[in-house]
Amino acid sequence: MTTESTMTQSPARARPARSVLAGVAAFGALGAYVLVSSVGLGLWTSLGPGPGLFPFAMGAVLASMSVLWLLQELRRPSAAGEKADGGLVLAVVVSLVLLAALLDLLGFQLSMFLFLMYHLKIRGKRGWLSALLTALAGSVGAFYAFNYGLNVALPVSSIPVLNLIGL
Amino acid sequence: MDTLNELLNGFAAALTWQNLIFAFLGCLLGTVIGVLPGIGPVAGVALLIPLTLNMDPTGSIIMLCAIFYGTAYGGTITSVLLNTPGEAASAITTIDGHAMTLMGKAGAALTIAAIGSFVGGTIATLGLVAAAKPLGELGLLVGPPEFFALMVVGISLLVALAGKSMVKALISGALGLLISMVGIDPVAGAPRFTFGMDRLLDGVSFVAVIVGVFGLSEILSYRKGESTVVHAPGFRSLLPTGKEWRRSAPSMARGTGIGFGLGLIPGMTGSVASLLSYGAEKKFSKHRNELGKGAVEGVAGPETANNAHANAALIPLFTLGIPASPTIAVLMGAFLQQGLTPGPTLFTEHSEIAWAIIASLFIGNLLLVLLNVPLVGLWTSILRVPAPILTALILLFMVIGAYTINFSVFDVFVMIGFGLLGLALRHLEIPLAPMVLTLVLGPLMERSLRESLEISQGDFSIFLNRPISLVLIILGVLIICSPLLKLRKPKALMDDPEA
Repeated sequence: MTTESTMTQSPARARPARSVLAGVAAFGALGAYVLVSSVGLGLWTSLGPGPGLFPFAMGAVLASMSVLWLLQELRRPSAAGEKADGGLVLAVVVSLVLLAALLDLLGFQLSMFLFLMYHLKIRGKRGWLSALLTALAGSVGAFYAFNYGLNVALPVSSIPVLNLIGL
Repeated sequence: MDTLNELLNGFAAALTWQNLIFAFLGCLLGTVIGVLPGIGPVAGVALLIPLTLNMDPTGSIIMLCAIFYGTAYGGTITSVLLNTPGEAASAITTIDGHAMTLMGKAGAALTIAAIGSFVGGTIATLGLVAAAKPLGELGLLVGPPEFFALMVVGISLLVALAGKSMVKALISGALGLLISMVGIDPVAGAPRFTFGMDRLLDGVSFVAVIVGVFGLSEILSYRKGESTVVHAPGFRSLLPTGKEWRRSAPSMARGTGIGFGLGLIPGMTGSVASLLSYGAEKKFSKHRNELGKGAVEGVAGPETANNAHANAALIPLFTLGIPASPTIAVLMGAFLQQGLTPGPTLFTEHSEIAWAIIASLFIGNLLLVLLNVPLVGLWTSILRVPAPILTALILLFMVIGAYTINFSVFDVFVMIGFGLLGLALRHLEIPLAPMVLTLVLGPLMERSLRESLEISQGDFSIFLNRPISLVLIILGVLIICSPLLKLRKPKALMDDPEA
């Protein structure tokens, strides 16, 4: 597709996509927040530029570009970007958050084993043997490879019983 | 003579068995990353930085550099065999490379690509050897105002060339700079944008941000695809014919020149180099009519150009401390994490490390030829690993990578947060490249701005009173204003997900 063809495709009366407007609003709000916060940090001191000067400039860029983007969208709305698979996003993000939350409590091996089993067996619909072997290699195998092979300490469980059995 | 002695000392250091293993591992991992569609070189290098933090600086940077140029080789394999580029710089190779596969010449295409990459990479590294000293000495004359102006030019180029909209590129650049400012202010010591969280006093971890924005967001934006059947070429079919060698040689020479020249310019990515090289073949090749139908020139030129670019892009980093592309910016982050500041002082303060890394580039390029040509069947078999297993293992490495930066779960949450931000930026078609560049350059840029203004006692005209900074500032303004002058952008940049 040429640049010319993308420019001539948008219909005259089309409205900007809601997600684009939300993006414009978010960046505009962030720019405004940075502008206000930077003033509080101090733009100029007796020694020269203050800690707020550079962020102030960036906040100004962000806010003004958001306004320009909005004007561009109102004039010629861009085609909405491709939507992500909501189910996949939810599954990956929630499982990652749970993994991170449990990492110090259950230890790397157990929490990573559960995480991998979820992705391989439940989401990926792999066979039991393949899922178990991969999950064990990724959790117990990775733990020992990193701890003893690379001297990189991965977390162990803070629960005494689990800790005692090496998890 | 000094340069030659230092290079020989560099070889002595790079040829120790430990550093050879690091170079080998880097080439291996880089090729795998290049083969895998989904994880690009930026996320690939960032993902593996935490694993190198406990290593000595020389070994660590040797391995990361090998990963970096290894991805350029790996991307070719899927382009030729599957018509699917493993990374953006190999996209143009799909045209003639895959056509050669359909004609039963996959082996010859892969061998020519590997040899071309070796030639381009090696000649560009020779350029780095030649330029290192003089440019490094020139760089020592650069003061804070010139350094600030130089970074303005670099960022302007990337902003001007990245994506379809400069407004969006500027948003991305400003966002990266703001993220880089989280933490304690380097001059006054005041906390900025920490929201009262002690963990943010040291700033947001660069690696966690990059892995989230580039790697996790890529996985989050996956869609269900059709399964692919890969037929790896047999070993006997790997050797090109004499005619193919003769036809490839001029293309390799042109590709080297184009890749090397573009590698020196900040903002030019490997995909621009390979695209322009393809354009040059269409114009200058004796067999230009066959291009698009399986001409060996269409593989030799672009593949040579993107590797020459990858190695030449290290020249501005080593000599001036300016990253020329997003992947080099990530590499620069790794240098900083190892306590090494790329730029002119690298050759005065850490000369032995700098030369060992340069020497390792020659070794790594050779290792990649040895790894790529005979083992092409092994690389393609990676693509037969089912997607759920690959995704789960990539997520595993992301979590380990993020956790081991500070051995803190907080960084895993940072990675998740930035993964979602990356997904939103992709959806809004905001380019990611300016963000990663400003994220690395932000603290350096702010420091040089503030030092300049302290020298001039707050007078901004310091940037206009010094000839070098004046020229650079004018250049930066012209670049930013280029869309108003309706300068044409190379199409590949617009399609490059990394740009």
